[in-house]
Amino acid sequence: MNCPNCGFDNIQGTDLCESCGSDLAGLDLLEAQAGFRGRLMTDHIGNLPLTDPLFVQTRSTAAEAIALMREAKHGCVLVLDGKQLVGIFTERDVLTRVVRPGADPQEVTLAEIMTSRPITLSPSDPPAHAIHLSAAQGLRHIPVVEDGRVLGFISVRHLLRHIHENVLGAV
Amino acid sequence: MSSHIENLLAKVKVRDLQLQPDHRIDPRTRLSEVYLAFDEQRHGAAMVCSGDDVVGIFTQRDVLNRTALENLDPDTPVSEVMSDRPVTIGLQHDLAEAIQAMVEGGYRHIPVVDENKKQVGLLSSRVILRFIADHYPEAVLNLPPRLHQVMTRPEGG
Repeated sequence: MNCPNCGFDNIQGTDLCESCGSDLAGLDLLEAQAGFRGRLMTDHIGNLPLTDPLFVQTRSTAAEAIALMREAKHGCVLVLDGKQLVGIFTERDVLTRVVRPGADPQEVTLAEIMTSRPITLSPSDPPAHAIHLSAAQGLRHIPVVEDGRVLGFISVRHLLRHIHENVLGAV
Repeated sequence: MSSHIENLLAKVKVRDLQLQPDHRIDPRTRLSEVYLAFDEQRHGAAMVCSGDDVVGIFTQRDVLNRTALENLDPDTPVSEVMSDRPVTIGLQHDLAEAIQAMVEGGYRHIPVVDENKKQVGLLSSRVILRFIADHYPEAVLNLPPRLHQVMTRPEGG
């Protein structure tokens, strides 16, 4: 946070400039409106390029889901009951619920091994929400849902790309 | 007034980030042991090292793509299914370069090496996102009820 009076680069949130003593209170809040940091809060996930998800039904088998994920190079499938989103099945679930327990992927159905009622985001949520969910909870794939309709999903790779393009692309 | 994050990404070096030295395994490590670490310690990837040389990487994505349907013997050594000679990044590179390498390669994990190309640890995208979240806690964690609301005075007082 640069002092508008002398230009000294102060620690974020400092009330008085360490160099010249000017009043800096509130400046950091206004700065939040600008630049990438502001966009983390004010941009919308709906503006990011989302990926079209793969859909499977609860009665699909793990092997069917894995084959789809391999072909599309996706790390997850979304599980529908009819048209309703009821779960997510990710590469982590492949490991922890199929491979490690030694389940037969041709037999076990997604109803048995999916994560029910997954955490979702709204297209009006800011990218900061997605970063928080990924960083704090380790989620790698988050469905984006509006009025019960799945618009796509956002992944950790998306988020890194978003940061890369918005920060490095601007330099 | 330049945005803080551009400076941050250019100033912070890979050596300043939290690396994961315990994600290192020997090429002879059995798949069952790798799965155990992925499951119980929630590792997303393992850096395969021969001595201090990085010879491969094996990730949860590789389980999905290469081993989940293949009925492999759990005693199979990881060297048979890993990706050989992965892209690495040096400790002296900055965070922006690490992100660039990961985005360009589509990696979520990248092995970190020192100036002699010896392994130091694994850098994960989750650690990078957590680093950004930690440096923008007010942006990432304390979102105001209305996002465009900006208090004109500290504490809104």
